Amino acid sequence: MSQKPFIISAEGVNKSFDGFQAIRDLNFYMDVGELRTVIGPNGAGKTTFLDLITGRTKPDEGKIEFLNTHDVTKMSEYEIYRLGIGRKFQTPTVYTDHSVFENLVLSLEGSRGVFRSLFARLNSTERDRLDEILKTINLGSHRDRKAGALAHGQKQWLEIGMLLAQNARLLLVDEPAAGMTDEETAKTGDLLLSLVGEKHSIIVIEHDMTFVRQISQGRKVTVLHQGHILCEGPVDEVQNDERVLEVYLGRKARAA
Amino acid sequence: MRKFLCAVILLVLCASGIAESPKEVISKTVLLEDSEEQAKRVGALSGANPEELIALLNKWKEGGIFIVENADGTKVAVTLDEDKDAEDKQTARRLDTGAVFGRVVAADITTAETDSTLRLAMKSVLDLAELSSPDLKRRLQAIETMGSEQDPERLPALLAWQAKETHSRAKRAIQEAIALIQLKDESDDVKIAACKTLGELGSIPSQDFLKTTAKEANEAGKAALVTAANGALKDIAGHVTFVNTAGTAFRGLSLGSILLVVAIGLAITFGLMGVINMAHGEMIAIGAYTTYVVQCVFGPGLELSPFGINIKLPGMNATDWLYDSYFIIALPLSFLAAALGGLALERGIIRFLYRRPLESLLATWGVSLVLQQLFRLTFGANNVQVSSPSWLSGNWTVNDVLFGWNRVFVIVFAIAIVWGVTMLLKKTPLGLLIRAVMQNRQMAACMGVRTERVNMLTFALGSGLAGLAGAFISQIGNVGPSLGQLYIVDSFMTVVVGGVGNIIGTVISALGIGLLDQSLQQILGNPVLGKILVLAGIILFLQWKPAGLFVTKSRSLES
Amino acid sequence: MNKRTKIELAIVAVIAVILIFVLPALNASGAVSNFTINVWGKYLCYAILAISVDLLWGYTGLLSLGQALFFALGGYMMGMHLMRMIGDLGQYKKPIPDFLVFLGWEQLPSFWVPFSSFAFSMLMVIVLPAIVATAFGYLAFRSRIKGVYFSILTQALTYGAALMFFRNDMLLGGNNGFTDFKFLLGADVRDAGTQRGLFIASAIVLIAVYGFCRWLTTTKFGLVQRAVRDSETRVLFSGYAAANYKLFVFVVCSVIAGIAGALYVPQVGIINPSEMQPDKSLEIIVWVAVGGRGTLLGPVIGAVAINALKSWATRAYPDLWLIILGGLFILVVLFMPKGIVGLPAQIRGFFAKRKSTETPAAAQPSPTAP
Repeated sequence: MSQKPFIISAEGVNKSFDGFQAIRDLNFYMDVGELRTVIGPNGAGKTTFLDLITGRTKPDEGKIEFLNTHDVTKMSEYEIYRLGIGRKFQTPTVYTDHSVFENLVLSLEGSRGVFRSLFARLNSTERDRLDEILKTINLGSHRDRKAGALAHGQKQWLEIGMLLAQNARLLLVDEPAAGMTDEETAKTGDLLLSLVGEKHSIIVIEHDMTFVRQISQGRKVTVLHQGHILCEGPVDEVQNDERVLEVYLGRKARAA
Repeated sequence: MRKFLCAVILLVLCASGIAESPKEVISKTVLLEDSEEQAKRVGALSGANPEELIALLNKWKEGGIFIVENADGTKVAVTLDEDKDAEDKQTARRLDTGAVFGRVVAADITTAETDSTLRLAMKSVLDLAELSSPDLKRRLQAIETMGSEQDPERLPALLAWQAKETHSRAKRAIQEAIALIQLKDESDDVKIAACKTLGELGSIPSQDFLKTTAKEANEAGKAALVTAANGALKDIAGHVTFVNTAGTAFRGLSLGSILLVVAIGLAITFGLMGVINMAHGEMIAIGAYTTYVVQCVFGPGLELSPFGINIKLPGMNATDWLYDSYFIIALPLSFLAAALGGLALERGIIRFLYRRPLESLLATWGVSLVLQQLFRLTFGANNVQVSSPSWLSGNWTVNDVLFGWNRVFVIVFAIAIVWGVTMLLKKTPLGLLIRAVMQNRQMAACMGVRTERVNMLTFALGSGLAGLAGAFISQIGNVGPSLGQLYIVDSFMTVVVGGVGNIIGTVISALGIGLLDQSLQQILGNPVLGKILVLAGIILFLQWKPAGLFVTKSRSLES
Repeated sequence: MNKRTKIELAIVAVIAVILIFVLPALNASGAVSNFTINVWGKYLCYAILAISVDLLWGYTGLLSLGQALFFALGGYMMGMHLMRMIGDLGQYKKPIPDFLVFLGWEQLPSFWVPFSSFAFSMLMVIVLPAIVATAFGYLAFRSRIKGVYFSILTQALTYGAALMFFRNDMLLGGNNGFTDFKFLLGADVRDAGTQRGLFIASAIVLIAVYGFCRWLTTTKFGLVQRAVRDSETRVLFSGYAAANYKLFVFVVCSVIAGIAGALYVPQVGIINPSEMQPDKSLEIIVWVAVGGRGTLLGPVIGAVAINALKSWATRAYPDLWLIILGGLFILVVLFMPKGIVGLPAQIRGFFAKRKSTETPAAAQPSPTAP
């Protein structure tokens, strides 16, 4: 292949839970440097898709490759993370008993080995970087507070901060706008837009169409329905697609 | 001439002996001087009334027949009544007629002696008499003895009796005994046929005899007989393997059933509710002690003195079927007692800890300690005696495989319990509520289900089942204060291996662990090593299936 | 380092001086009885053991019911050496341990031979628990057995091991285990001086273990460790192989428990399989829970307090001791989740709550002290 590799590519992926087909013959390709928004009704398989990429669940069949070289379906969660795939969960999951700063330290890129961790010390560059991130996510004044004591929106920010600290190649962001004010949502969008480029590719899962419009800006949007890709294209195109309207607005299917 | 005369007299005597009743024959025989003569006469005895004959001969053997002299010097055989007076005099009765002879002192008169020849003759008569005994057990015993003695002289009696015998087990035993005796036959053909019969019968006790036969035949260079004997031995060895395997399978099944009965309560409290109840073992003990108390009430009563308080339970002193029925009463009471214990535990402690499983483990362990000590203070530190009702203490032997009734009962009972629990969960409104609350507590609460009450009842149900298990264990093992500790590790293992939250999984894992345990014991000949290997096996099994046999798959992320 | 830690370190330093220098000196001069030293030496071993449990449970969230096993394993290794040191002074006057003579052995079984060396025995005190912990931990953590499943499995491990050690053909003394020790490093074990030495050794090890754990909590390892406790899944999604971290802690704790056991045995003069029964493990958990888990001082306080209580209660109310222990445990779990150490904060919290109900404006949750 002379083409530049896909940051992530899924081919023929199927996954069912107790008879419920969450993902059905999914094929998904995404270029390096892309910011892709995935939308779809509840139960469309969006979160399961992220689970499959991050190794949380294993597909029944099919493969998912990172940069055309690593089949993540055969790797464990932490190995996938170490490839440079980071994830922000739908409900914010931070280490509640750790301070905000410690949360970031835990996420900071670098060795993850047991013995290294015994003697690892933060150097000044790393410290500066973490302070920078704290400023970006607006939690500078909460540096030593327990993360569990933060408000919902602040936890969302903290988790985004953890993604930043990780410096991932591929960022998987599950509903970042949930629980944020409009102003914060806009700010999140700006942050994501400022990140995307050769170094960072981003998949965003979102319900909030305003937010989708803000970040997609003519980029490709993927619509998932019943575990399958319904259609892909710019947001305006997608929103007027017959099939999408049907799925979202529940118009009766012409041919059942 | 004299020889001839003797023979004639003998014949006459014998002929008359048959006509005479055993009492008369023995009365005369006792008086004879020549023991060989006595032996011959006794040997010729048989009769329409084997019981009487057996009693008489036994009396003679035990020195209960005496010889006294009439005033005319003729001797008479007598027996003594049990009516000793101050001068040690007893009433003597004639053996033949039963008429009173007079009062004598036992020490002054002659005892009718028996020597080894005579005793041997008596024994064979007794054996033959036993053959026709109406009691199956005695009959079997007699047949077995005759077979193992390999006395060709008994062959006719056995053959004669074979035609009359109706019971299948006795028939088989006679066949076996005849074949065994025929192993001593002079004809090789008969011997070979006997070998074949024994092989076909899979006669385990004949192995040593067959080995001897094979050895002798080998020395004598009789190839055909050697082959026949070895063939029979091989057949028997095959049968032994079958019996052992079947026995192991049965014991494994019954152990599995015990595990199942013990674990099914845990499958509900731990599996469905997610509560780690370390006091589950003590719930079992509550059931076992309840059975003990019920038994005592049916029997001689019970006195307890926990903390210096005297409690006296009057006993019904019941006997026979009434006493045997105590277990029927004990079953529901054990369930109730343990269910009440469970209810108190749930209300008092566990309901505060539903969100903290590790801590419910610890708190219930505290409860377990307290309960164990309470048992110790109430019922004493030693095991108490729980006797099985007679209908649980027998056994069946089918094809040499022993089936103890209590173990058969455990299996039947386990099936009944599993069926009952499944029905309860699937078909009753309570079952529906239980399943709803276990699947999604909040949702159920929103739909108006009183989750608190459902928790309470579910926990009581699980504990009650443990109590039932206790009633059972009291029939099989010891009942003591630390009874529960014996079963707690096993029951947790059973539930974990089966897959938490899955009754079918628990059933399969209980049976699997039971069979594995018994098989390993059979193979290794060592129960402890078997147990250790089972534990190691479980740890390795969880490598392969960390969530147990049956996984309840779900999409929920954090469990 | 915050103020609280500084205060704690100061307290520990004072305790260290008292334990290592003052008490032994007072004992040597006769002001403190040999009995007291012996009893406290035992408590110190329990305290070391309790710290190891807390490092697993309080800091990593692994409720292991197998710590008694490692404690006993360490004890057995020391016991084997002590048995060899009896020489031919046993009842049978043979150069091999009495129970082996009783079992009909003429010569020492080969695996017993190296235990004549003190250095080898001490190595085994560390190596054997580590091997067992590595093998078991590897299997358990690899298949992601966690929470109560881990507890139940460790319980099964301990149970299985106890069954094994109860057997005579393990050649480790069966039911009776090892006892009647005579010499350790050439000194009479029962001599007051030797016991004092063992007391000092226990104190030093306790302080060292405390120091090690204190240091461990300040490292990044400590951060990951607590993260594993709070949200193991999240840790995997932060790129840490949680299983490796858990295995490391598990092995370290098994070694600590083993060392505690090795110090314990010569002080009590006996080791037998009842030491490794699941109940013993749970008892250690009680110490930690009562003292306060997730702290380093808590388990020490708990171990000493409960065992002091036990010594008193088993004499004063022998029948009620288990009821007291069980009841205490229930109460602590229900009402004092943070144990004795957390009691002041709990009381403060209780009053703060009452205050806040009086003035609803203050209901906003304030940042709690770490």
